Amino acid sequence: MMAANNYFGFTHGGTQYGAATAGAAYGGQTGYAVAPAATAATYGTQRAAATGYDTAYQAAAATQDVYAAAAHAHAHAAVAAASAYDASKSAYYQQAAAAYPAAAPPQPQPTYDAAAAKPAYSTPATYTQGGARAGGGAKAYGGVYTHTHSHTATTAAASYPAQPYTAPAAQPPKQSANRGNTAYDTALYNAATMYVAQQNKTGGGGGWKNYNKGGVGAGQQRRPKPPPKAQQLHYCDVCRISCAGPQTYKEHLEGQKHKKKEAAVKLAAAGGGAGGAGGGGGAGRAGGGAALRCELCDVTCTGADAYAAHVRGIKHQKVVKLHTMLGKPIPSTEPTKLGGAKKTVAGTPKIAFVASGGLSTVASTSTKEQKPPQGDKDKEGDEKEDEGETEPEVQPVGQDYIEEIRGDDGKALSFNCKLCDCKFNDPNAKEMHMKGRRHRLQYKKKVQPDLEVKVKPSMHQRKLAEAKAQRLLVRDEIWARRRMHEQGMEEEERGYWEGGMEPWWPRGPLPPHHHHHHHGMGVPYGPVGRRPETSDDRHVVAKHAEIYPPEQQLQDIQRVVSHTEKALKSLSDALADHARPKAQAGNKAQNDKKDDKPEGKEDGRDNQLFSFVGEGEAAAGGAEGAAAAAAGAGTAGTAGTAGTAAAAGGPRALKGVMRVGLLAKGLLLRGDRDVRLVVLCHDRPTVTLLKRVATDLPAHLAKVKAPGDDTKYKVELLPAEGAVQVSDGSINVLVSLTSAVMREPAEGGDIKRDDKDVLPRQKCLDALAALRHAKWFQARAASLQSCVIIIRIMRDLCRRIPNWTPLNPYAMELLVSGVMQSAGAALSPGEALRRVMEAVGGGLLLDHGPGLRDPCEKELVDALGNLPPQKREDLTASAQQFLRQIAFRQIHKVLDMEPLPKLKHATGGWKFPRKRRRSNTDTEGDQPNGEGKVVKTEEKMDASENSAKK
Amino acid sequence: MVRGAGRGGRGMPGRGGMGRPPFNRPRVLMLRPPFDLILAEPAFPRCKPAPDDSALTQALLKRHAELCPTPAEQSAVLSLVTKLQTVLDNLVVAPGDFAACQLEEVRQVGSYKKGTMMAGKNVADIVVIMKTLPTKEAVEGLSNKVNEELNKLMRAEGAGSVSCGCHERGFTVTSSGAASAAVRVLVTTLHQNLRKLEPEVHLDYKVISSHLAAIRHSRWFEENAHHSSIKVLIRLLRDMCARHSGLEPLTPWMIDLLAHHCIMNNPARQALPINVAFRRALSLVAGGLFLPGCAGLPDPCEAAHARAHTALDLAAQDAAAATAQTLLRVVARGGHRYVLGLQAFEGGKDISTEITVWDGVVVSPLAPAYQETPEPMDTDDKDDEGVQDGVAA
Repeated sequence: MMAANNYFGFTHGGTQYGAATAGAAYGGQTGYAVAPAATAATYGTQRAAATGYDTAYQAAAATQDVYAAAAHAHAHAAVAAASAYDASKSAYYQQAAAAYPAAAPPQPQPTYDAAAAKPAYSTPATYTQGGARAGGGAKAYGGVYTHTHSHTATTAAASYPAQPYTAPAAQPPKQSANRGNTAYDTALYNAATMYVAQQNKTGGGGGWKNYNKGGVGAGQQRRPKPPPKAQQLHYCDVCRISCAGPQTYKEHLEGQKHKKKEAAVKLAAAGGGAGGAGGGGGAGRAGGGAALRCELCDVTCTGADAYAAHVRGIKHQKVVKLHTMLGKPIPSTEPTKLGGAKKTVAGTPKIAFVASGGLSTVASTSTKEQKPPQGDKDKEGDEKEDEGETEPEVQPVGQDYIEEIRGDDGKALSFNCKLCDCKFNDPNAKEMHMKGRRHRLQYKKKVQPDLEVKVKPSMHQRKLAEAKAQRLLVRDEIWARRRMHEQGMEEEERGYWEGGMEPWWPRGPLPPHHHHHHHGMGVPYGPVGRRPETSDDRHVVAKHAEIYPPEQQLQDIQRVVSHTEKALKSLSDALADHARPKAQAGNKAQNDKKDDKPEGKEDGRDNQLFSFVGEGEAAAGGAEGAAAAAAGAGTAGTAGTAGTAAAAGGPRALKGVMRVGLLAKGLLLRGDRDVRLVVLCHDRPTVTLLKRVATDLPAHLAKVKAPGDDTKYKVELLPAEGAVQVSDGSINVLVSLTSAVMREPAEGGDIKRDDKDVLPRQKCLDALAALRHAKWFQARAASLQSCVIIIRIMRDLCRRIPNWTPLNPYAMELLVSGVMQSAGAALSPGEALRRVMEAVGGGLLLDHGPGLRDPCEKELVDALGNLPPQKREDLTASAQQFLRQIAFRQIHKVLDMEPLPKLKHATGGWKFPRKRRRSNTDTEGDQPNGEGKVVKTEEKMDASENSAKK
Repeated sequence: MVRGAGRGGRGMPGRGGMGRPPFNRPRVLMLRPPFDLILAEPAFPRCKPAPDDSALTQALLKRHAELCPTPAEQSAVLSLVTKLQTVLDNLVVAPGDFAACQLEEVRQVGSYKKGTMMAGKNVADIVVIMKTLPTKEAVEGLSNKVNEELNKLMRAEGAGSVSCGCHERGFTVTSSGAASAAVRVLVTTLHQNLRKLEPEVHLDYKVISSHLAAIRHSRWFEENAHHSSIKVLIRLLRDMCARHSGLEPLTPWMIDLLAHHCIMNNPARQALPINVAFRRALSLVAGGLFLPGCAGLPDPCEAAHARAHTALDLAAQDAAAATAQTLLRVVARGGHRYVLGLQAFEGGKDISTEITVWDGVVVSPLAPAYQETPEPMDTDDKDDEGVQDGVAA
């Protein structure tokens, strides 16, 4: 039976083969002669040079007088033909010659059987008996010529590359093409060559025996005979299917499926051929791991379990049945191990050759027996390697993740793997699944990241990975560019809501090309260049422009004030002349001369004291100046007294005039019509003096007017205020009279005499305080960035909002300047306003707060005075509300203005098209933070913008 | 001339014309810290005698005494934590046949670790770092194993029994002794595993990373906030926040940072008295510490530029500020007993939402400034990696 099978199988293959190869096959020496001639540098080329199967075969047949089976002989012949002149031949010869005789005699026959038992195998297989996996010709064409190779390999300890002698017998041309593609590795090639050479030399020794034996067999096989009737069955070797009739068979052969398979086989062959240079097709297939193959079905299984399942499976059974029916040899159920490429000496993928199971018991045993004599170290090493390579039994993992689905009777009906999301009905399948790669990968991915899973880099996966890397790269690039280009409002807005840029941006190393954009860089420089204008800033600035007085109004005020000052000076001169006409006559002349000088100070334009005292009077008036200055600094006291004493000789009654209040501080707003001047008197200002001023001033005003000026000035006496008011109809200038000596206690001796005549003391003191406040303001507040703007804004706020009205202007100025000062750095207008609100909202003005210390008083005075608690409460509450409105982009409500449209940045470069994310808006409620927050903030901003556009 | 004065100081001499910053960096908005009276002391020197604050101080101390856990509670939770720690340590060192997960490390975190536990809330926290990925099954397996081991231990000591219940953060071990105690075992995983988390299979990414953050927080706290004034203030603030709806969203971590800031961050670097610090805390939150556009409190346990309060959504930020603003004014009018919870306000109403009258002064709550808007918004497409790790614990 065994033999029958063999022969049958052989003949079957052989027949087809024979048909194609022509009768000349063993004809003669031509082949041999031709082959050397055709010898090229490499075997591959030679083959490719289309020596053709026939030629090779002939050559082989011709040469192999020595050797046995025609088929294998052919292979060797080809090899021999290619490298007959190999240099190392002799060296090898010795060894091989020594080894061969022992091995050779028994071998050929059994191996032959084994080989013959095999139907045409299209894919690599391993020789189960250890080193013999090298059995080069595993591709036994028609199962014929392999066995010697196994023998050869044993001897040479080398393996043949995957030998795709696969093409179905029905298609000889294809087969030859395949062969042509095959590139033998040099080493193998050499080894083989030598072997042949050795055989040649050995002549009629064991070799003859082989030859005879093999020859007989071969001869029988070769005899061209028509396929038996039983073989009407049409069998496709590539696809391993049988067809019902010739028609279907033909159709099958023309079918796409078949062609595909065929192409794949060819490709594998080519890959095997190319293996000499690079990796091998077989290796690629087998991956790194020890895969198991079912030779019969040409199925690669990843593990013993999978293999067992396959053998049990219906598909396998079908094939077995078919093959049995066809009488084809059925290889053992022993799986073929597909080892890694490293097992091959030269790194080539090897051909696997399986001694077919039941049929080849003899063969395998005999091979084993033969082995010891030849078993050189290489072999043993290989064997060990082999064992090392066999995958250690994989422990099933993830039992916990497989749930059993039980039926009503409590019996497990099926299993569900939660990790891989798959089901199986069979406990075996479950076991296998748990050991399987896919499951292990999932387990690694989802449960235990350090689990080792053999990776199988399939083409597909590699492509996926590459594509992913590519995508990442592109995304990085895009983000990088976006970072570069997105400026201004975008950044600012995001920063505003999110704090720093980072929350948006995956943290981690920045792409190297903008490392110089590092955040920290700006910090040491403080505000770099012009700070970006935030939306708050723009609103505040816009509001400020709105409340800032128009040019015309300022000029009007300027003119009236200037005239008043000049008139006062003129009046002062007149008074002085009048008081001391004789003694100071010279002085007057001097004064007149001074006044004519263009560079002389004409009025109080610089907001400093405009002294009426001429230079000639300096000696006498110097003390007064000092007194005035002392009063201005809030330290009027002893100095003032000293000044008065020193100037007792003959001082002017009116020493100078100074702008105070809004005018001096530059806090005038649109519509402001009232400004104040303070005239410093030498002595306590009296009602008499005030009346005198009121009566004389119009004349002097008329005198100082420009020639064409027809303004009518009206002067009003306001004794209760201790002042006169000059008015041109629209602008009112309040001129208060005061004196530094008013600060002294009223009960000071002789001064008491004309108490009744003296102007109200409090008014005079207020005027003095106004002087000091103006000086303080100019010295302190005006120099703080944004301070004046914010005070103007706050003045407007206090005018508009009842809650803020109780805050007196000076306290407000103190508050704002204190807030600015404590910031430690320059603030933009928007920030400044917010900070003021923060301070008030944080309870600065509440009862337990520190109060606002008046810097213009020596004692601790709270500039807020005794603001009632309810007012403080209301102020604080209002500021708190404003603060939150500012924070939520509603500063326009605080400022009582229309919201400004969003600024469009011309410099922004290209921008990303922004995606609408409508679907998200409704679910935001339950996304308190993380992504949802960003969404929400943006939404918020947009909302404010949208309302801005309305 | 008036104009000249008004414009002073706005120009940038020496940089005129160079409108752009030196680097082509998108301009960075530098956020300011809010106005803080303690730090602004030089600009606002006290000009009137400081009010007598002993009433507030007394009230604060009294309330704190009430908030401290009782010795019985403390010992109950201590014993449970010790046992649990033993069990978990054993699992780390010698897992034996326990294969549901592999443990890397076990750490105590949270209020138990920080020493800021509150009476009546006898729950300690332990973070378990898994080497494996935290699947729900792994958590369940760990929970069962812990339950079994712990009960074994308890039986050996004759100390009652425990029960374990899983939830989305890990599981909670509850002991049913005389004084009940519970330990929340919070599950997380190694940092490098964070990327591998999948929403359906594992615990939530945010939860996992917040547990990692909790470890950082505990460590920071140990190093920086060990002053007992801070702990006192933390208890008081946590209690206050829990009782006022607007302040509820503040996380314990924000409160920790706030308390630390209020006590320690002053020019002298000495701990401030508790009453000053309490007022300061209210005043800071009222002054917009936790509002958008404010530098807020930088999170020391996150990378630079992270602000602690951005974990709140905008409505919550607004509500927190508004509530603190009202409470600040209530306290200023002497209503601290209500704010602290020493006295229930009109049958347990939230005082921060009611109009109150104090000696004729009306204190009213404020309307929210933040408005939800139905308008859909533009948003930039952002991919999966939008979430940062460690969104405050």
